[in-house]
Amino acid sequence: MSDTLERLMNCVELGKINKLSAFPPSLKGQDGADELSKLALDEGINPQVILNQALIPGMSKIGEKFSQGKAFVPEMLISAKAMTAAMKHLKPFFATGEIKRNGVFVIGTVFGDLHDIGKNIVAMTIEGAGWEVIDLGVDVKPEKFIETIEKYPNCVVGLSALLTTTMANMEVIVKEIKNKYPDKVILVGGAPLSQDYCNKIGASFYSRDPQGAVEYLKKVAA
Amino acid sequence: MTIEKFSFKYSELNIGRNALILAMGYSQESLPPMINEEIDEVLESGNELCNIEGGYRITDSVNWDKSIFSILLDNVAFDIHKVIFQQIKKSNSVAIFACTAGKKITDISKEIMKDGDLLKGYVYDLFGSIVVESAMDLIQDSLQKEMVALGLKITNRFSPGYCGWEVAEQKKLFSLLPEHFCGIELTDSCLMQPTKSVSGIIGIGESVKYNRYTCNICDAPNCLYRNLKYQ
Ligand code: B12
Repeated sequence: MSDTLERLMNCVELGKINKLSAFPPSLKGQDGADELSKLALDEGINPQVILNQALIPGMSKIGEKFSQGKAFVPEMLISAKAMTAAMKHLKPFFATGEIKRNGVFVIGTVFGDLHDIGKNIVAMTIEGAGWEVIDLGVDVKPEKFIETIEKYPNCVVGLSALLTTTMANMEVIVKEIKNKYPDKVILVGGAPLSQDYCNKIGASFYSRDPQGAVEYLKKVAA
Repeated sequence: MTIEKFSFKYSELNIGRNALILAMGYSQESLPPMINEEIDEVLESGNELCNIEGGYRITDSVNWDKSIFSILLDNVAFDIHKVIFQQIKKSNSVAIFACTAGKKITDISKEIMKDGDLLKGYVYDLFGSIVVESAMDLIQDSLQKEMVALGLKITNRFSPGYCGWEVAEQKKLFSLLPEHFCGIELTDSCLMQPTKSVSGIIGIGESVKYNRYTCNICDAPNCLYRNLKYQ
């Protein structure tokens, strides 16, 4: 791998946004994700390669640390900032089709529930894994999911809930989606969830953390 | 029947940086330095971000159904399950409480996240959680002092949604409090609004016990606060 890509990957993992950002101290004064992604493009590196070999692996590294308990939510969010700074330079290539995403992921907090921190972190992580994310927000009714699936027939769906009382609404949503789209892949997550509950309501996959979902989505996309 | 209401200024809560750092999962030493800015900012603007209200109602109408680990408050039965039942069963009266940090903190956190700054939004959100728990600590302290003066003791606080006690039972709990108590509303799905709110009960009696280490009786293995408070 080129030196620039390697450094870029590091910046994303460590959350070094640009040259001016003082953190992490070990990279003080050096180029950050912003400058290095531009440099990579100037060096003629294919934008898809920049995304797949530097940005996604950088996010994935911090996601793995998080799921092992070696990093916490803030570090994931700082890495996301660095990734966003790099993506700014790649944006035009999405429009021209020179960069392709892995797929579309539609996520929402189920109706009756207004929590969005957990959902936002999942959305950000999956976007960082190269997916186009459609965030439907909170208090999302089954019809809204169905409507969105009609627009993006190949999408994968993610549902989030924070309390047992609202988790029950996942069952309703899964049922309505599966009625119309029996093969639709549906991921579920949130504090009160469990593998048992996922099995019981017929969802496709449960993960306690975002990185588990990313690993699963790799298999779905393959 | 006694109803006590409290409202606090954020500055009365004495929330330090450490509370936020611990709740994020770090120690002073392991905190990544880039989060310092967000922490300082939220701590400085605490007074404008919070609208802290809370209180309790004490009822002496307390009955028990030991066979099903149920407590009856004003003849309303609560299925509190074994763990909480064991902790509270010697109570002669019970304080039903609710407390909120107010709506603003959540609105602002959501706005910040919408504008794309998830990190800052997260720190604000976490701050709201710490504020409401700290305010409830003060209310509990005040209740304890009042009871000690009467020769009584109090238990820990117990909330629906913990140790087998269903979140849905909040409906019954709020039916025993005045309407719109401290500005808190319960939605059909048993979500309290504002988001940064807590509810529950505290036992009162001559021979009840306050347990400093409740983590070992609780069944929430992934709780953010597990073993943190008393470290
Ligand atoms: C902080 C906190 C609070 C705070 C703030 C809550 C808030 N809504 O903002 C306060 C103190 C106010 C509070 C209050 C209550 N809480 Co509370 N709280 C928590 C705590 C400790 C952390 C929640 C949090 O913010 N986590 C951080 C975010 C980032 O995590 P997350 O949302 O879970 O999302 C992550 C994963 O779940 C996953 N994920 C989420 N969605 C999805 C979706 C997909 C597809 C995938 C793959 C993954 C995924 O990835 C995310 C990132 O890692 C949890 C315990 C815990 N450790 O989870 C209890 C918890 C959520 N609370 C609980 C309860 C019961 C309550 C109360 C009802 C208690 C009461 N009666 O007072 C109230 C309800 C408040 C209300 N408004 O109605 C229960 C809920 C379970 C249940 N029994 O229903 C929990 C799980 C604790 C427990 N008993 O184990 N709470």
